[in-house]
Amino acid sequence: MKGYLGIDVGSVSTNLVFMDENGEIREAIYLRTRGQPIFVLQEGLRQLAERLPGNIVISGVGTTGSGRYLAGIIAGADVVKNEITSHAVAASTLVPGVQTILEIGGQDSKIIILRNGVVTDFAMNTVCAAGTGSFLDQQAARLNIPIEEFGKLALKSTVPVRIAGRCAVFAESDMIHKQQMGYSLPDILAGLCEALVRNYLNNVGKGKEILPPVVFQGGVAANAGMRRAFEQALGLEVHVPPHYNVMGAVGAALLAREKMAGGGTSRFRGFGVAKTRFKAGGFECEGCPNLCEVVEITREGEVIARWGDRCGRWSNSLGYKENAV
Amino acid sequence: MTLKVGIPRALLYYYYLPLWRTFFEALGLEVVISRPTTKTILEAGLQNSGDDVCLPVRLAFGHVLDLKDRVDVLFLPRLVSIARREYICPKFLGFPDMVRHGISGLPPLIDPNFNLYRKDSPYPFFVALGRNFTGNRLAIYLAYRRAMHAQARYVQLLEKGLFPEQALAVLYRGVAEGQEPGGGGPAVAVIGHPYNIYDPYISMNLLSRLARSGVRVRSADNLPETLVREQAARLPKHLFWSLGQRMIGAAWHYLQSPDVDGIIHVASFACGPDSLTGELISREVRRRGKPFLNLTLDEHSAEAGVVTRLEAFLDMMERRQFLPAGESV
Repeated sequence: MKGYLGIDVGSVSTNLVFMDENGEIREAIYLRTRGQPIFVLQEGLRQLAERLPGNIVISGVGTTGSGRYLAGIIAGADVVKNEITSHAVAASTLVPGVQTILEIGGQDSKIIILRNGVVTDFAMNTVCAAGTGSFLDQQAARLNIPIEEFGKLALKSTVPVRIAGRCAVFAESDMIHKQQMGYSLPDILAGLCEALVRNYLNNVGKGKEILPPVVFQGGVAANAGMRRAFEQALGLEVHVPPHYNVMGAVGAALLAREKMAGGGTSRFRGFGVAKTRFKAGGFECEGCPNLCEVVEITREGEVIARWGDRCGRWSNSLGYKENAV
Repeated sequence: MTLKVGIPRALLYYYYLPLWRTFFEALGLEVVISRPTTKTILEAGLQNSGDDVCLPVRLAFGHVLDLKDRVDVLFLPRLVSIARREYICPKFLGFPDMVRHGISGLPPLIDPNFNLYRKDSPYPFFVALGRNFTGNRLAIYLAYRRAMHAQARYVQLLEKGLFPEQALAVLYRGVAEGQEPGGGGPAVAVIGHPYNIYDPYISMNLLSRLARSGVRVRSADNLPETLVREQAARLPKHLFWSLGQRMIGAAWHYLQSPDVDGIIHVASFACGPDSLTGELISREVRRRGKPFLNLTLDEHSAEAGVVTRLEAFLDMMERRQFLPAGESV
């Protein structure tokens, strides 16, 4: 069987999908990155190889997410794309006619506006991470409830409590205050969902024309409380598509198929890379007062990529062609 | 020995350097400009400025520190108003005082008031400035004339499509003007304060990244002042921030211009006027539906955020068929 590999290495999760030639998602793997992108990506490739039949041929590889360049080097990518384009391509393929994408991931949140299948506007959260998955994770841990239960509990609420959503730090002290006053846990959780949605719509969604169909994706879309809070705030039905938590990887696979449609062989290094010894190291360049922190990726002791230098002194020395803007 | 006058490569350096530099050199002084921004300069600025000022002002502190031990006097004009009945940001007005009280061991500061709120001619400013160095009023007048001439030439070069560093190279290093790079790439107008967009360190090489991707870049400074003012006059109320007026006027002009395919607005975090002008620009952009990106710069050095947004913006333009087919980013 032939197909395409999509890899999304994000701050919180690392996702891999295998898509067959007809665009059917055959396998999807969702792993926590836990600050070890290389190790987790290798683990993901190993699991994927186990699940797929032996006669598999990878015709193209796409990577996305904040670790897309790293993943591209490790796996051998044919296309490396930013997460906005990847999410948009995935949603418009899986949900034809989609006009608004709400995406909340581990450390960023974005809104993408499409018209006639084309991105016309987008925004990402700026310097504030309040209202992203990491904050929900942290609060769930503090309240001692598994993150998987969060949404179900929030749905039990009848009277959501008003929580300050401007800033994660203040939201937390507000929640503690409400707990001390004796409000029920479901009401506090539902209130938190509403506060995050308010914050998202005011900051990320500011000034955007949100038209249906609306799709909600990213890891946080698993939270039914968040979905309900969005539906109430927008007055619109909010769809959570299948594969909502690996949409970036789905987009990367679709982009790989698009890229390879013109023919050519994939740069995929093979599932064997799961066993190769990769190492990411770094050093501070002392060539000028910028003191750039240069990242160096080695494979079996041999340097295969470097980046992070502003002047290109290190990245160019490998003949590594910069494909970033 | 020639007296060395230090000029920080910050704030309105990109607007007025020829005016200051030519004036000082005509009076026989040596001009020393702080080195281009590096991590070391920025860090020094962050450590020595108050924490409630914006990034450009904090950076300017770093440039003052870079000059501190290399010059005899420091030139920090107290910029109050650069056009009739308009003001510029009060942080420019307070800058010489912030420096005087925030940094010790400074060479003497020369900080005459530059205030055109009620007058048209900056001549009195130059008289006050020149008196610090000479009693010869004729020499001051001649230096003033040369400075005004150099500034006019500089503005002319910018209006031809050059960016400040290129125009300064033509003026002071005798570099040929060069041809504007042609090519069929899309044109993007980058709208932002000059000290944000032209400083490659602060903007994370925004302009060269765009150019490398085959984009033709325009900025507010490539437009004649009259044109910018004409556009800004469409606002229901006179905008009394000179810099905001330039940005809005330019953005509105480029929005109507068929040769410009997209607009990037660059704001610095904690800039009060930017929060206002950015909003006014983005509302007008939405009405007209051109591809638009709002980039906020701050002291975090991670390029990833900027790169992701730029890539997505260029993809958006490409998928909207502004980029020629087959050209990848």
